[in-house]
Amino acid sequence: MASLHLNAATTAPSQHTKYPIVTGTSVLGLRYDGGVMVAADTLCSYGSMAKYKDARRIRTVGPATLLGASGEYSDFQSIMDMLEGMEQQNDNFDDGHSTDAQQTHSYLRAVMYQRRSKMNPLWNDLVVAGPNFLGLVDKIGTTYTDNFIATGFGSYLAIPILRKKWRPTMSEGEARGLLEDCLKVLFYRDCRALNRIQIAKVTEEGGAVVSEPYEIETDWSAASFATTKGGLEGDGGW
Amino acid sequence: MHRNMYDTDVTVWSPEGRLLQVEYAMESVKQGSACVGLRSSNYAVIGALKRSVNEMASHQKKIMEIDHHMGVAIAGLTADARSLAKWMRNECLNHKYVYGQPMPSKRLCDDLADKHQRTTQTYVRRPYGVGLLVAAYDEATGPHLFQTCPSGNIYEYYATAIGARSQSAKTYLEKHYETFPESEKDDLIMHALRSLTGCVQGDGELTKENGSIAIVGKDQKFILIENDDLTQYLDRLEVEGGAAEGGDGDAMQE
Amino acid sequence: MASSGSGYDLSPTTFSPDGRIFQVEYASKAVASSGTSVGLKVKDGVVLVTEKILTSKMLVPGSSRRVHGLDRHAGCSITGLISDGRQLVNRGREEASNYVDTYGIRSPPVVLCERLSSFAHYFTLHGALRPFGATAMVAAYDEDEKDYSLHMIEPSGQAYKYYGCAAGKGRQGAKTEIEKLDLQALSCEEGLAAAVKVVLQMRDDNKDKPMELEAGWCRDGKYSKVPDGVLKDAEKKGREELEEEEDMDEDEDE
Repeated sequence: MASLHLNAATTAPSQHTKYPIVTGTSVLGLRYDGGVMVAADTLCSYGSMAKYKDARRIRTVGPATLLGASGEYSDFQSIMDMLEGMEQQNDNFDDGHSTDAQQTHSYLRAVMYQRRSKMNPLWNDLVVAGPNFLGLVDKIGTTYTDNFIATGFGSYLAIPILRKKWRPTMSEGEARGLLEDCLKVLFYRDCRALNRIQIAKVTEEGGAVVSEPYEIETDWSAASFATTKGGLEGDGGW
Repeated sequence: MHRNMYDTDVTVWSPEGRLLQVEYAMESVKQGSACVGLRSSNYAVIGALKRSVNEMASHQKKIMEIDHHMGVAIAGLTADARSLAKWMRNECLNHKYVYGQPMPSKRLCDDLADKHQRTTQTYVRRPYGVGLLVAAYDEATGPHLFQTCPSGNIYEYYATAIGARSQSAKTYLEKHYETFPESEKDDLIMHALRSLTGCVQGDGELTKENGSIAIVGKDQKFILIENDDLTQYLDRLEVEGGAAEGGDGDAMQE
Repeated sequence: MASSGSGYDLSPTTFSPDGRIFQVEYASKAVASSGTSVGLKVKDGVVLVTEKILTSKMLVPGSSRRVHGLDRHAGCSITGLISDGRQLVNRGREEASNYVDTYGIRSPPVVLCERLSSFAHYFTLHGALRPFGATAMVAAYDEDEKDYSLHMIEPSGQAYKYYGCAAGKGRQGAKTEIEKLDLQALSCEEGLAAAVKVVLQMRDDNKDKPMELEAGWCRDGKYSKVPDGVLKDAEKKGREELEEEEDMDEDEDE
């Protein structure tokens, strides 16, 4: 006890995470006929600076789980370390038990909620996907499952599109097309987004696979982009 | 012999490389009344004989539910068993809180065995004086029957028995265990009761008061079958009559 | 036994007048009476084989495991008390996982085994503890050096690196047999066959007691349990070869 008092008196108060530093933006996910698909771009921003353009924010956890993360990238890396440790434990036990997407989702909820309750959150919103599962865990431990999910700016810009276009019977190609459309809109309107993306899918037969990053076509000729706002009053902003 | 030199502390090896305190703790399991366990490819059943200290006392509880998918039968020091059961229930709840799914029984039993072992290697604690039969059903791996010992050993069985006069139950089970995989719920329960009849003390009888059965399995949450629920099975046992007596005969020869 | 009754053999903290620590020696006796284990470093990996003596025919195959994975690149076999051995396994897993967390690469075999041996050694230093009644053979791959290694950690805390080692009941005979092998010429499959044969050979006197073999190997940079089918085949082949050799010996005698 003595040392505890001494510490309190002589050291600065301990600081917890109050804001993220290196961040990834939206992650999108949707169910389609035969599996679940997740998509995100590969940008990590340092504040408003587009600093890392090859940050892979969708990873596989074990054979049939996908994890996509927006928010603090280092926290995501640390979460991946935890999950890989858990996978290794399963392998060590070699007893027929594994951690599926649903359990991973629940586990992350427990971690995120515990961290936020200690006022020291891991600064991520996480999308967890399995062959027949799609769920979200946010930085304060809230969870939900849905047919489509979007984090970050995506929850404002992609959700309305998904609400309109998503159908449970979508084919793999349609699902991918819809996600690319959403990411394109995000790239146009979210200043922390990039047109270099990864798409991942998880199915019963094929397990979890993440694509290599690729660029999506953009078209900046729309009037709202092409017309200068210089003629307006004020400083050119809204 | 120098036996008494090496048998008072758990942390002392005998010259033969034995741990006598641990072996003595194993003896306390044999003092407890008998428990049997068996499983098919879909269900696991445990059964036990309950004792009462005198006619005015109730019978001592022998089977405890741990979670919807798991229960234990105990032989040995009941108080030790209760603290272990409490710990197991806690582990199951924690697992369910974290992973959203029931605790895999093998992992819990391995942890339980480690918990036993630690008491055999440090001076400050005595070994637990109790043996458990754990019946469980896991979605991923099916039904299981584990036996734990004070030594920290753990075994998985198709069928087994522990406690006083359990040898006769073991003999019965060894004779029939190869037919268990295909057995239905009721058949398993009957096997459990038949194996228990040989473990009753003296000229006593297996009754709805001293008998206790539990089952868990596929689409079957853990349930305890006692008292009036047990009557129908005991009636069947009585109808069989001859067969049951054959079992008793075996027991006498032990 | 000279040690017994002298009073110098009751604690690991007591030296005898001739500088021995009897409690450690006694712990080793627990290992010496266990089923035989063999470890071989061969051309392209390491093979661990161990014999598990079964106490009942109603045991489920694979119960009370003696061969365990520690990490992607390492695994170990346990000879002696399984419950003690599992503590070594747990510690080994912890050390391996801590190493990855800290340094970002898998633990080099030497480091892993040194840490594990320090753990075992600690239990020989305190009056309130007892030495482990188990020996661990660790098969591991060095991801930096691209090399396999075999270590054996004993109750004393000693840990040597071996080309071939044996522990348990048949260790003397097994060592003699291992010395006859040209280890660097053997593949993992051949090493498995050889190790299985040695273990089977060592159980001449109690051939009929029920037993089960367990095996693990480290190959292609990874540790894994030897698949049941592969092990069963090796066991069958080993038995056949031994029988043939026996027949030939008898012929020669005639």
